[in-house]
Amino acid sequence: MSLKKLRIYNNLISTPRIIITCLSAIIVRYYLMMSKYQSVIANHVEVSTPLNSWKRVSEGLYLLSLNINPYEGDLLHETPLSLYLYKNILQVFQGKIHLAFITLDVTTAVVLYFTTKKFTEDLFVEEEENKATYAKDAEECFLKPDKLFKSSYYVLLTYLFNPYILFSCVGYSTTVFYNLYLSVMLFSMVHGIPVLCGVFLAIAASVSFYPVVLVLPITMYFKYAIKSHTKIIVNLTSFVVTSLLIFVLCSNFGTDFSYIRSVYGCILTIPDLQPNVGLFWYFFTEMFEHFRELFIYAFQINTTILYLIPVSLKFRKHPFLLTVAVNFIITIFKSYPSVGDVGFVLSLMPSFSHLFPFSQQGFLVGTMLVISTSLAPILYYLWIYCNSANANFYFGVTLSFAVAQIFLLTDLLFSQVKRDYMLKYGKDRKIDGEEGILCLE
Amino acid sequence: MKCLIVSLGILFICHLVHSYEGTITEELLIKPLYSEQVYTHFQFSTKWDIDPDKETFRHSPLFPRPLGEIVQRFDIQELHVTLTSGLWRYEKWGYPVKDAATGVEVLAWFKPGSDVDKNWKLLANSLSGLLCASLNFIDNTNTIKPEFSFRPRGILESNLLNNSYVRYANLPHEIVCTENLTPWKKLLPCDSRTGLASLLNSGHIHNTRYHSIGLHLRPVCRDKSCESMSLELQQTVSLVYDYLILGTKNWSLRKLFGQGINRKCVLVSKSDVYVDTTNQDIELEPPPDETVTSVRGGQVTTLQKYIVSNQFLNIYAKFQNADLVSLNLPPPLHANQYLSGYGQERGGIVTKIYNNHWKQIDVVLMQNIPWFIPIYLHTLKVTADGRDIKPIQLRYIPARQRERPTYLEVLLTVPARTATSVVIDFDYVFLKWQEYPPDANFGFHIGSAVISSYLPVARNYTAVPWDGSLISDSFNASRSGYLVEVRTENLIITLPTPDFSMPYNVICLACTVVALAFGPLHNITTRKLILKSKRKVLLIERIKKFLFSLKKTKTE
Repeated sequence: MSLKKLRIYNNLISTPRIIITCLSAIIVRYYLMMSKYQSVIANHVEVSTPLNSWKRVSEGLYLLSLNINPYEGDLLHETPLSLYLYKNILQVFQGKIHLAFITLDVTTAVVLYFTTKKFTEDLFVEEEENKATYAKDAEECFLKPDKLFKSSYYVLLTYLFNPYILFSCVGYSTTVFYNLYLSVMLFSMVHGIPVLCGVFLAIAASVSFYPVVLVLPITMYFKYAIKSHTKIIVNLTSFVVTSLLIFVLCSNFGTDFSYIRSVYGCILTIPDLQPNVGLFWYFFTEMFEHFRELFIYAFQINTTILYLIPVSLKFRKHPFLLTVAVNFIITIFKSYPSVGDVGFVLSLMPSFSHLFPFSQQGFLVGTMLVISTSLAPILYYLWIYCNSANANFYFGVTLSFAVAQIFLLTDLLFSQVKRDYMLKYGKDRKIDGEEGILCLE
Repeated sequence: MKCLIVSLGILFICHLVHSYEGTITEELLIKPLYSEQVYTHFQFSTKWDIDPDKETFRHSPLFPRPLGEIVQRFDIQELHVTLTSGLWRYEKWGYPVKDAATGVEVLAWFKPGSDVDKNWKLLANSLSGLLCASLNFIDNTNTIKPEFSFRPRGILESNLLNNSYVRYANLPHEIVCTENLTPWKKLLPCDSRTGLASLLNSGHIHNTRYHSIGLHLRPVCRDKSCESMSLELQQTVSLVYDYLILGTKNWSLRKLFGQGINRKCVLVSKSDVYVDTTNQDIELEPPPDETVTSVRGGQVTTLQKYIVSNQFLNIYAKFQNADLVSLNLPPPLHANQYLSGYGQERGGIVTKIYNNHWKQIDVVLMQNIPWFIPIYLHTLKVTADGRDIKPIQLRYIPARQRERPTYLEVLLTVPARTATSVVIDFDYVFLKWQEYPPDANFGFHIGSAVISSYLPVARNYTAVPWDGSLISDSFNASRSGYLVEVRTENLIITLPTPDFSMPYNVICLACTVVALAFGPLHNITTRKLILKSKRKVLLIERIKKFLFSLKKTKTE
């Protein structure tokens, strides 16, 4: 297929349609933010964790205005730079904080749209090039341009109307900012802009620490998808330089390091045990004191570097999937996850629509997500307000929420493995003239 | 021989008494409160004419040596300890002679140049031993350094007035009982056998609505010229008896304390009992030695004075008209504190300050909030009559988990004849399971707030002025302002609890979920996808095959 024809396919979704989608998303967000449900949503622990709640940001800004160091206390876990950013955004939007959040959220969606658009295009071009090496009867799992190129629009749709993202935006959680950083990072990665990619990776890492490990997948992307060694170096350099710059600015030119304890200390040692959708809170509530350190190390290693190298090696040929998968692992196992993080990863799923035929647990995962999401607030209410349930109920729900995400992740990765096999050996599954089954050995 | 020993002993005691330079006084104030109670306040003052900065306390005649050692070892400038059970109801009872919050309160000033934090911890431990109270729970997690609320009561060079030398802590959950009173009585010069102290019988004291024992140590001027210093120790006991518990309105010393005053303590230079009969139609038996009328800040008080001699004294008060109920004007300033909100997620602490005076009053609100109740300062709202009031000054040090409490001091002007409410929001914190007390669902205490102010009028005011030491010094002591430190109620907050019975289950379940991720990811990344025969070879077939192969080899 010629490049021109490809572009025509890729622009199947007209611009007005995108604009209308965005506009309707804005209206939905605005309506919810103006309604009485705004504070209800913002107060939910699934939406606002200690790390991203806007109430804590307001407290930090207020303390700053009184000339009290906001990191003296325990409430604020945002970096000084983020705080400075929020202060300026509030000034730009003249205190109309809801408009700021809507703008940022829709920007993220559009950035993700262009990211997926470029990714699917690259994917298609790559397959066209390699078609000669594929098995003869694998045609039915070839990419179908009409389906494939719609997925970018689906990403936009899932991001804008995903209830997780919607709640996170309406609840003024600062995950909206974090998602924007990640989306710009993905965008510049896919478009091969190493400087921007490094800068936003550094920003994302400075906010939530965990994205540091995305360095490896991004390097893989520049190596295997863009095939440029200079870009790897440029990317790494810009990441390191920006990180240093952020550190210098946050520490007030090396004079005040109090934020490190409040931001990274909190992320890494989990002193605040407020419930959230993750696994850490109850685990470390019920932990025996002398084992606490051991398990903190174990869980943090599990989140960051345990899977990083094997997954990076196995999926080096699919660096975008690798990046999303590593981000997904972070989202599942990070110390203070919120539904905004989950929503971000989920909304990227349509870009892997070509893997869906190979997935096996879609229904199971979908059901688990729906049930656990709807049960979580109910059981929390029963525990905290009615005193008729206890912490175990909510813990059970967060467990199943985590299991659902884990199933989705492993299913996605396994689908990629199966598709690779299919392309290589065809759909024939006969062994010694008998029907065989595929298994990992 | 016996005679000789006795006379030698007497001589020795006489010498001891003689070598002691200073005065020991004891006073008792009995004040029928307007409502259904009678308030009694004992004050034992030991003034020792030494320079507290230079004295080594190796030899301390009459002054309690344990306290002397504490002063010397921990570089104490001034010390106030109160142990209180029950709540002083300002609205109905007016102001007490010494304000005290429910539970234990310790306030200390240290001498400049000492290691204050270390000394404070050691002081708490020593006091804990001295008073048999759990003061050893005082540490950095509940200690603050108030800036405005407390001023030294003794003399101090003004350039040393710095909040880095002051420490304040309260233990609202501490229960005060007989075991605290007994060691306290041991510090008295005459012990509890003679003098006013003989009235302090545990059985009757703990039968009251409110009882508070206190130790107040401060350096004072030796005389009017104030050229040299003395060390003063005030031991106080405040009791509020309820007529309902007494069974009658007509009280007597015997009814209140179980016995009358037997003898005067020989060491005491002044031993007086005052009965406040202002606006009360009381007939006293025996008749008082003297009637004192005191005009203070526009308030006229009539007091009947009894001088304790070596004769037995039992004062009996009879209300002439038992049905007469005297109406009480509430004091100019009083306060309440309560929690707002429901559930165990978010709440608010509301402090209501009532100003009944016709003029606005400047007050300082001080709160010492434990670390497990993190407050949001931006939600601090001061309103009166629906109008917002801007605090004049604010001091705030936020809490840090497991390290220090929230310290908040708000200086504000309370408008006349209104209730001003100070609201601040907080979050309920989820603690580690081992941090909960055995009765986790009982709740955690938040200590009382302290509202200090200089009142322009002395209505319902009984406190001794700072330049005086005796209750008699408060008669006719009109000043430009009258310091009150109003204490509010303690609060109890039930934090959400985890299930204490299943740490193992939780650890297992969470680890299982991690394993659910580890297993498949490990498989996918380390193994290869291969095609395998679907047909399973049964065990019997395998054996058959094996036997066949054996047969074949045999035949061959």
